[in-house]
Amino acid sequence: MHISLKREIKRSHFGQAGLAILALVVIAAIFAPLLSGYEPTATSVNSLQAPSAAHWLGTNHVGQDIWSQLLYGARTSLAVGFGVGILSLILSIIFGVSAALIGGIYDQIIMRIVDALIVIPMIIIVILVAAYIRPDLPVIILLLSALSWQGGARVIRAQALSLKQSGHIAAARGMGAGQVYVALKHIVPDLGPILLVEFIYGVRRAVFIQAGLAFLGIGDPMQVSWGTMMRDAMSYSYLNVWQWWLIPAGVALSLTIIGLTFVSHAAESVLDPRLRGEAVA
Amino acid sequence: MSNKYRLITYAVAFVIILALNFVLPRMMPGDPLQAIYGDEALIAMTPELQAHLVERFALDKSLWQQFGAYIAALFSGDLGYSYYYNASVFSVILGSLPWTLLIVGTSLVLSTLLGIILGIESGWRRGSRTDRTLLTGLMGLNGFPDFFLGLLLLICFGIVLGVAPLSGAVTPYAGLGGFALFLDVLRHMALPVTALTLAHLAGSYLLTRNTMITVLRAPFMLTARAKGLPERSLKYHHAGRNSMLPVLTMTGIWLGRLVTGVLFVELVFAYPGVGQLTYQALLSRDYPVIQGVFLMVAVTVLLVNFIVDMLYPRLDPRVRHAY
Repeated sequence: MHISLKREIKRSHFGQAGLAILALVVIAAIFAPLLSGYEPTATSVNSLQAPSAAHWLGTNHVGQDIWSQLLYGARTSLAVGFGVGILSLILSIIFGVSAALIGGIYDQIIMRIVDALIVIPMIIIVILVAAYIRPDLPVIILLLSALSWQGGARVIRAQALSLKQSGHIAAARGMGAGQVYVALKHIVPDLGPILLVEFIYGVRRAVFIQAGLAFLGIGDPMQVSWGTMMRDAMSYSYLNVWQWWLIPAGVALSLTIIGLTFVSHAAESVLDPRLRGEAVA
Repeated sequence: MSNKYRLITYAVAFVIILALNFVLPRMMPGDPLQAIYGDEALIAMTPELQAHLVERFALDKSLWQQFGAYIAALFSGDLGYSYYYNASVFSVILGSLPWTLLIVGTSLVLSTLLGIILGIESGWRRGSRTDRTLLTGLMGLNGFPDFFLGLLLLICFGIVLGVAPLSGAVTPYAGLGGFALFLDVLRHMALPVTALTLAHLAGSYLLTRNTMITVLRAPFMLTARAKGLPERSLKYHHAGRNSMLPVLTMTGIWLGRLVTGVLFVELVFAYPGVGQLTYQALLSRDYPVIQGVFLMVAVTVLLVNFIVDMLYPRLDPRVRHAY
């Protein structure tokens, strides 16, 4: 591609704003222990306190420091987001590229499964599964990855199909290159920006769904996460505590998702040049 | 995609749904009766009931015979029995379904219509201040999870301003009837519908706007302009109508998202729909109800997608000729 993805994202206002927001979240996640003086899970007798010099955002119903929970919540969201983003991207590449290269009945089977999975709403499958097994964070990451590769696989297959027609692939095949070699050496590197866009989609979806599941109380209740904070805060919404308990958690979650949306919007304009121009403006 | 492929797709989706519902409880370690009927069933258990339940799902037979019994029960309309509510799953779901349909239906219509109108206006004035404000605003809104939007609305209008009811679908024991009841229902659904509509507006808006930008460059737009047609006609009849088509194809997918969104929003507003029911069932491990809701929601979404797919060639003759 002649359009540089990096330059494109940096040049667009949406890309800049998105990257700035994400940088903030990443810093909060990495330096969480330095930025707060409390363990997020440490309980105390000082419950439901208003913000003070000791507790910047007050304490929750079991006396945990909310500011520190907010910082550590970023870790949970980012871990799930990036974990699912990478795992589902790998699955998308495997199924998309193999369907394009092998073709025939295998392609048919994979694509019908892809279409079927696109139609069934993912969250209700997760809720059903979670009703039987009480999933902790790693299991949620695996579950979400297993259920969110279909969209990427379809896009990657389409791109791989057009790459397959190009001369250099035929040349490589003629020189005796095997299917796997062609896939790894020629197709996957050429997918370029599509992979990044699909990755960001995957991260955004996972952050969103993890928060939703935690909000429903699915998963490990001891895991510090923004969804759990909102769930706990909701039951105390008749008190004033929502101002420093519910709102910061919700805003942190929304900001993260908005940041990802902005970056993916900027990246999309690389894939669809008709949308360009506004990204540069 | 031809009709044959579409049918196969929906068949595959249906099999995946059935298989999940059948396999999951039977994979669980421990007593399959508990995994299929939930904790409440064990409390009510007598030897006769146990024998009956084992026989009903052929639990003493091979897995294939069990699957046969499961399918046979489903097709006779038997979704199972909830020992938590002491009623058939079908009637339990039927009791809360109308409220959910009311909210989801209203939000689907509102978010699609509003999205299309805003998308047309925004695409028409691409690059202008209105367009930028709308684009940034709606993409920002898209980042707010529906349950957070719901909580914000609840706090703002319900708790701080005190103008909206905090929970439920009607005022309990008010004994309202006729027009007063209608107004009461409207008052209770206002906030949940607003939350869902706002959270799902961005999808149809962005899609319409993107298509609009492409359509505006089409040669027929130049022709229409050269004919001297008024702006309103250009914008809505020529460009707008063509920009609506992709939105309609997505309706089925959006319904799926709204249905999952409503699960969360109902929880926030304690709205007595399917979402609230699912949440209760999760808490009490009422597996038959969870399975029933899963089956019903998934099949509804499949059906709507199927109908949209079938209608599409009628709306866009180009698709019909493509076969």
